[in-house]
Amino acid sequence: MEVLERLLNISLVIATIRTTAPILLVALGGSFTTKAGIFNIGLEGQMLVGAFFAVIGTIATGSPWLGVLCGVAAALTLALIFALLVVSFKANEVVVGLALNILAGGLTVSLMKAIFGTRGSIFGHGLVGLPALKLPNVKDLGWFGQMISGYTPLVYAAFILVPVLILFYNRSRLGLYIRVVGEKPEAAEALGISITRIRYISSLLCGLLAGLAGAHLALGYTTMFTENMSSGRGFMAVAILIFSNGDPLKILLGCLLFGFSDALSLRLQTLGISSYLVLAVPYLVALIGLFALSYRSRPRLIQETLASMGRVLSVKSNTIKPATATDASKP
Amino acid sequence: MSVTPATPLAIELKSITKRFGAFVANEDVNLAVESGKIHAIIGENGAGKTTLMNVLFGLLQPDEGEIWIDGEKKSLPNPAAAIAAGIGMVHQHFKLVPSLTVAENVFLGMEIRKGGLIDHAAQIKKTAELSKQFGLQVDPNERVGLLSVGIEQRIEILKVLVRGARIIILDEPTAVLTPQESRELFQTLRGFVAQGMTVIFISHHLEEVMEVSDTVSVLRLGKNVASRPTAELTKSDLVQLMVGRLVSFDRLPRTPTIGKTVLEVEDLWCRDERQLQALRGVSFGVKAGEIVGIAGVAGNGQTELAEVLSGLRPSSHGSLKLNGRTITGLSARDIRAAGVGHVPGDRLVRGVDRNASISMNLLMGRQDQSPWSTHGIINRRYLLEQTQALIKRFDIRTRGPESPAKSLSGGNIQKIVLAREFTGSADCLLIDQPTRGVDIGAQEQIHGEIMRQRDAGKAILLISVQLDELIRLADRILVMFGGTIMGEISGDRVDEEEIGMLMAGVVPEPRPNQVGAA
Repeated sequence: MEVLERLLNISLVIATIRTTAPILLVALGGSFTTKAGIFNIGLEGQMLVGAFFAVIGTIATGSPWLGVLCGVAAALTLALIFALLVVSFKANEVVVGLALNILAGGLTVSLMKAIFGTRGSIFGHGLVGLPALKLPNVKDLGWFGQMISGYTPLVYAAFILVPVLILFYNRSRLGLYIRVVGEKPEAAEALGISITRIRYISSLLCGLLAGLAGAHLALGYTTMFTENMSSGRGFMAVAILIFSNGDPLKILLGCLLFGFSDALSLRLQTLGISSYLVLAVPYLVALIGLFALSYRSRPRLIQETLASMGRVLSVKSNTIKPATATDASKP
Repeated sequence: MSVTPATPLAIELKSITKRFGAFVANEDVNLAVESGKIHAIIGENGAGKTTLMNVLFGLLQPDEGEIWIDGEKKSLPNPAAAIAAGIGMVHQHFKLVPSLTVAENVFLGMEIRKGGLIDHAAQIKKTAELSKQFGLQVDPNERVGLLSVGIEQRIEILKVLVRGARIIILDEPTAVLTPQESRELFQTLRGFVAQGMTVIFISHHLEEVMEVSDTVSVLRLGKNVASRPTAELTKSDLVQLMVGRLVSFDRLPRTPTIGKTVLEVEDLWCRDERQLQALRGVSFGVKAGEIVGIAGVAGNGQTELAEVLSGLRPSSHGSLKLNGRTITGLSARDIRAAGVGHVPGDRLVRGVDRNASISMNLLMGRQDQSPWSTHGIINRRYLLEQTQALIKRFDIRTRGPESPAKSLSGGNIQKIVLAREFTGSADCLLIDQPTRGVDIGAQEQIHGEIMRQRDAGKAILLISVQLDELIRLADRILVMFGGTIMGEISGDRVDEEEIGMLMAGVVPEPRPNQVGAA
């Protein structure tokens, strides 16, 4: 009981919200491309360059906000290259996405070496993070106030974006067209909606949010850049996108699941459980979650297999039937 | 051939010609559509109906000719221009988004917005109003993915109406509908003309054209061969106009052969994809050394018959016998092994693998038989020898045995299929549309090969929509209509009128077997 109490308390909720935010931002970005019918595996790389250039921008200008802008611009550039190759030149989206991820990894490492002469991580150099927002009058709300106050701005942005995106997909023309392009391109074409244009817009919106996610990682979640600091969050987002089909609410649920298991693993470390096991927790939860979700479609698979087997069997049985059947039909 | 208009013309096409390379899809077509009428355009597959309508809807640009709408000359560079001119088209294949509601689909591309956001309530209200005004019953709130094809079509029609169309083109609208849904559609169309709109209705079903249209235009081989009020025509008139007068009866010479019955079909029934009865009790036999032709307007069960006989479609009732042995319900492979060769109607889908080489295509289906292979390894030298021999014998025009099938012309691809099917050990050959899309020279050769197979004692079932091909080759012709065999005609005593009536589903007065040459 005592162990449970130490694990499950308000600070776990706060930790969950903190760990959910970066992955939520990048997954919401991916929802644009998913809805537009592009399988965007390049989220990881966009997030990584976002983080790196946010740090560079902040060090260069001294303002974390200008740093965020730099990070977003870098991610947008990568997104534009992605769109150019995938949408205009019709290259395979998985290949392009993976290539850009590798490029992002290599680019950040070599630039780090060139600029700072080090490998590993960047901190200091006058690097400042985004300020935490203390909401006014939350003291009166007790534990709830404690729960909702004191995060960096991009955390709020991530959670506010969920209802905004729901509204966007259901009530705005652009959101509707993105869905139509993804679901039935020929319908969009017949109505004179430019598939290319919509897919470019989706890719860039995705880059925007992936850049913000990266910037948050480097300037909000921590105040540093480390090699490969996105550490698979982009891929987790891709996994969430696959089972959420890009629906913002389902994305939120998926991200909370990841965030929670991430936060839980951090707490478990304090209990003296092997850190290797603990660090595997979020990935295990992800696997189990994905398996459970895909399990729903399994009965259909089984049904279809049975049906096709039944067809074969019924055809076989026909060879015996006709003799009696034709006799019966004879007047 | 054009009608003198009693009422103003909604559409007038003047000398429209549309070519695709060397192929002329529409040739000097004149078409006058009166306002407030249902005008049917009928013709066989490939007669140029859809091309003509695509020209009218701005999807294709005519090479020659003029389009006049409501007495004004128009150029229609794209569908938007056609829509602006009041034309709407309901395509054969629907373009609806399954996850959106009916109202969202209807208004897609022209959403009603309030304060920048889509006003769902207004769209639903408008859809409900339109649906009521034109008797197209739909629930605007429902998701399209859950609806039947009939309702999907109503939504497509609503899409056209909401864009202000007064002239509505429907491309084979009943092809996907059940008879009940078709009847409801016809009622809706009559409602449209009652409200002063004009309907152009493309079809190759005689019945529904007779039932619903005021005027009929018949297209044949890209030309408008007749435009007349429907009331002045009979179904057999239409068939004759569609398939054309038989110019030459150049039957290939033959010696009568009397062999034993090889293929026996008894009381065969089956359903099509829409679960409608496609075959309703078909019985016939094919003897060795005999070509039995199957005639009929496309879509009367011929495709399904070929599929059942080759094992590609299950029959719901009836029996098939080959040399006295029951083969009902066997798989395509087993039927083949039992001795049925199949030249499929769609050679690119079922006849060849387009990407595979000619030699591989010739091998297919017998790759596990000696001497083509030994112990599971293909005998490449034998295959190459055979391929070269067959290329020579069937005069396949190619660069070599390893060229992919897709590099060949349609006629030469068909020769690959024939070369494979005619050199097996089959006693019975099922040949479906052997010369569709094949040039005249190759046609001659293909016909010659079929005759050689007949003389070699094979039992041949020849399905074709081309009457002249059947008359040229067949010893007997069975005419199919509505999934049954309407009658049988001896190949050397073909009477055009009689066959036309049978194809239209009318039984001529004297029994077909007793009719002499006209």
